Amino acid sequence: MNQEQQLKLQAFLDGELPEREAREILAWTQRDGEAASLLAELKGTRQAMAKAELRLSVPTTREFFWSKIEREIQRLEPQATIAPDVSFSAALRRFLLPASALAALVIAGLVVHFHATPVAPVDTAGNDTPAVETTLASADATTYRDTSAGTTLVWFSDDTPAKAVKPTAIN
Amino acid sequence: MKSFTTTRLVCAALFFLLLAGVTAHAAEADLKLEAQLILCSNDPQPQGRPVAPEIEKKLKRLPLKWQHYSVVSVQQFSVAKDESKPLVLGGSEIAVKNLGRERVELTLVGHGKITQSLRKGQTLVTNSNDESSLIVLRQVN
Repeated sequence: MNQEQQLKLQAFLDGELPEREAREILAWTQRDGEAASLLAELKGTRQAMAKAELRLSVPTTREFFWSKIEREIQRLEPQATIAPDVSFSAALRRFLLPASALAALVIAGLVVHFHATPVAPVDTAGNDTPAVETTLASADATTYRDTSAGTTLVWFSDDTPAKAVKPTAIN
Repeated sequence: MKSFTTTRLVCAALFFLLLAGVTAHAAEADLKLEAQLILCSNDPQPQGRPVAPEIEKKLKRLPLKWQHYSVVSVQQFSVAKDESKPLVLGGSEIAVKNLGRERVELTLVGHGKITQSLRKGQTLVTNSNDESSLIVLRQVN
């Protein structure tokens, strides 16, 4: 019997052969005494090992067992991340950088605050209505605004009769 | 990590503050203005210097009795904030003061004064001493 035949017998015993090949091996073991004795020996060895195998069981439930492992990992994690030693110059630099930026910001704010010119009152009307003053008491001023074109017309006139020709014209 | 974030935050705030300062300073820069004396008539003036198309378009939208406009003189000048620039346009004496924030005060000697915002694209029109001419004030692009 060669090694391949021995392996076939082992596979037959393990139930790994197709049905047709298993039938052939079974017939072969019935015909051949050497094959039959090897098969019996393999069966005996298998039974002996099955009895000798230790069955280990966890005394607690699976979830509880893994939760204990998880807790232990969490307990050990802070110890694993040890803070690196920071030199004095690095710590000073870390402090000075934002502090200097903050100081510059404050200085810039103070400069802007004290050098800014008083802001003119905001035109709450949100428009560009002109303020017109006439020099003479007898004078008058007419204002026309074309908002879409961004044009303002201010027409100064005195009390003399108007010389307008065009009825809609203000001049 | 925390200090790094703080640093970035402070630097960003500083940057925007400086940017705002520069912008504010730019807003208070000199105003570059142009004053034109425009002759008005109802007859075409082929010999006259034509007004710029955008000004002519604006003038034609105003309730004025004239149909044709031509340029008599143009003066371009800069006015610093709170400074005043006296000008003579034809027979009219005017003074333009930069009030800041793109506001001007146009004084027509003998008539009165107009305080008006004058941003780019805006135009201020008023009459001069000559009854058939206009003064047009605008920012130079």
